[in-house]
Amino acid sequence: MSELLNVQNAKERIDRIEDILASVAAGDLDARIQSDIEDDFSGIEAAIDLLINDLTEELRQREKMQKDLENKLSKIQDQQKTILQQQEDLLELSSPVSKVWDNILILPVIGTLDSQRTQVMMENLLQKIVETGCTISILDITGVPTVDTQVANHLLKTVTAARLLGAECIISGISPAIAQTIVHLGIDLSVIRTKATLQDAMIFAMKQSKRADEMRTLSNIALTNENVD
Amino acid sequence: MLEFPYNTDCDLLGKFKIDTEYDIVTVRQVIRQYAKDMGMGIVDQTRITTAVSELFRNMYNYAGGGEVLIERGEVESHNALIVTCMDQGPGIENLELAMSDGFTSGQGMGYGLPGTKRLVDRFEIQSVLNEGTTVRIMKWK
Ligand SMILES: Nc1ncnc2c1ncn2[C@@H]1O[C@H](COP(=O)(O)OP(=O)(O)OP(=O)(O)O)[C@@H](O)[C@H]1O
Ligand SMILES: [Mg+2]
Repeated sequence: MSELLNVQNAKERIDRIEDILASVAAGDLDARIQSDIEDDFSGIEAAIDLLINDLTEELRQREKMQKDLENKLSKIQDQQKTILQQQEDLLELSSPVSKVWDNILILPVIGTLDSQRTQVMMENLLQKIVETGCTISILDITGVPTVDTQVANHLLKTVTAARLLGAECIISGISPAIAQTIVHLGIDLSVIRTKATLQDAMIFAMKQSKRADEMRTLSNIALTNENVD
Repeated sequence: MLEFPYNTDCDLLGKFKIDTEYDIVTVRQVIRQYAKDMGMGIVDQTRITTAVSELFRNMYNYAGGGEVLIERGEVESHNALIVTCMDQGPGIENLELAMSDGFTSGQGMGYGLPGTKRLVDRFEIQSVLNEGTTVRIMKWK
């Protein structure tokens, strides 16, 4: 026994379902069938609308999750940038070069000298020598706990580079224990002028600077005399 | 892995990896603390710290890192701090040359190994090409 289905406008309604599904597939999540007709086919139309509702909801949630994740990622990237920046700032801060006298630069080195820090330190010092025209610089390593061959090598290179720029470099603050250790390592630091304390280095530098001043004055007088003659 | 003959009973104080420059600094500080705890004076503390710094840097520079074993024990009736550095790097081709003052295969000063030997009370080195290098140093209290 077969029952007859009660369906009105079957052709148009199937066409509409196809249209709506195509729209949804194309990304229009507001499209719904919303048929007014009540018959044996209405259940299917309603069910399809419900499915589209569910799908829309799920897609919205997924979009929201993705946005949240993207936000978090960009926040983490920002934090990472800040950390890197702070690290760089710290590097700069930990090698502050200052002009303490007419002609004298002081660079107090504190903490351990890895190659990155030494590089920054050396660049800062050399740049400051060029900027200020100072001819004496004091590198105080009182705050450096360990001087191994690599650190000694860096110190030697810094002193040599400073000399090439016309500045004499004095190293102060080598503790007796470190001095003994350097000797046992076999490194020859005699090419570097060293002073026990920062104070000794300052006194030496100021005398040196004064002598240079006097020399300059003398040669000025000599020049003036020449002009008079 | 290379092995040294052991005839002593030692307490293992620590085992560390050297992978970065940062590791060099932290493990070096650990060893300074052990030396201090054993009652070594500031000069000996500085010597052992500088010695291990040289060995760590060599492992870092030439072998891409390595491992450190810190021990304390009685060696020939001395109270000894023992540090063993092991790497699986390329090894050292000519040990005699590497141990001589001023020899460097890179841009160093070439005083790391011979200097380390002068800074400690016992220095042993083994190296096999393409297998690695092990250096053991001891400092008496
Ligand atoms: N663990 C190692 N693995 C492979 N090669 C090594 C190792 N340690 C040292 N060497 C080799 O031995 C050479 C000498 O080492 P040493 O530490 O005496 O000097 P350096 O490292 O070259 O310079 P410095 O230590 O004075 O900065 C090195 O240049 C390197 O070729
Ligand atoms: Mg070395």
